[in-house]
Amino acid sequence: MDAREDEEDVDTVLAGDISAFERIVQRWQRPLVNLAYRFCRDRSRAEDMAQEAFLRAFRGLKSWRRDAAFSTWLFAIATNVYRSELRRLSECTLPLDSVECLAALNANLIDSTDEDRDRAVRRLVSALPGKYKEVLVLFYFHEMDISATSRSLGLPEGTVKARLSRGRKILRSRLPQFLGELHLKEAQ
Amino acid sequence: MKPDELDRVLSRESEIIPSSGFVRSVMAAVRSEAAAPPPIPFPWKRAMPGLLACLVAIAWSVVDAFRSPAPASASVIPQTATHWIDGVAPLLEKAQIFGAEWVLLGLLLTYAGLKLTWHLAGRRM
Repeated sequence: MDAREDEEDVDTVLAGDISAFERIVQRWQRPLVNLAYRFCRDRSRAEDMAQEAFLRAFRGLKSWRRDAAFSTWLFAIATNVYRSELRRLSECTLPLDSVECLAALNANLIDSTDEDRDRAVRRLVSALPGKYKEVLVLFYFHEMDISATSRSLGLPEGTVKARLSRGRKILRSRLPQFLGELHLKEAQ
Repeated sequence: MKPDELDRVLSRESEIIPSSGFVRSVMAAVRSEAAAPPPIPFPWKRAMPGLLACLVAIAWSVVDAFRSPAPASASVIPQTATHWIDGVAPLLEKAQIFGAEWVLLGLLLTYAGLKLTWHLAGRRM
């Protein structure tokens, strides 16, 4: 995407022509909705969250300092919105070790196609504690770019690496029991 | 699961396409936001004389308390303070007659109840 287009549209919006913001929304709707979806796994909620992120960006357009790319600034705003939403949602999500959660994962893995297994792994990511989940979600969303992840989260790269490593460790420690069953089934 | 396998699973995620009305819905929200009147700022200019008067009064009472000669008695309470207490004491007595402590307790409980309600409502919204 062209950074100049964003800059021109922002200038136009700041000059009073709100319709230019529509071009910004059109350009960024897909990444923002997809990022929101990775946080909440609910399509309709993802659109609501992305809309809130765009609204916050519109309100704070004046505060965008041009030393960072518009996309970096926009993703940082969106990440903040999604993290807050995640914290609110976390009361409703299943804890990682809950019987229901593990049973659901097992059910997904026993008959498993690759797709089922991938879905189960993603569910396991969703059940991680927030600080690991957000790092993992953003890291893979940004195509495994640590610095982009740290900019979006506003965290030092070292912290991102540490949380990433810990999050993966938790995932790996919980996966074998499911995957073991899967491999046994495949071997039979 | 090997790390690279985990990377492969988590990187390979199908994209969702925003619904056709998404842009329209965002722009409607943006337009209504832009059309809303700006928040009313605190009237600093109007409040300034009152605030200045309060500051001057406080500064004056502090200066006056230090300038007043110390009483011959061993009392450690400054004279200004004793005058102030003398003035307030009858008010406190009257307030006690009207059950002011219960009114105050009622107000505090109402305030605590409201704060709790806002807090809980804020968490659910």
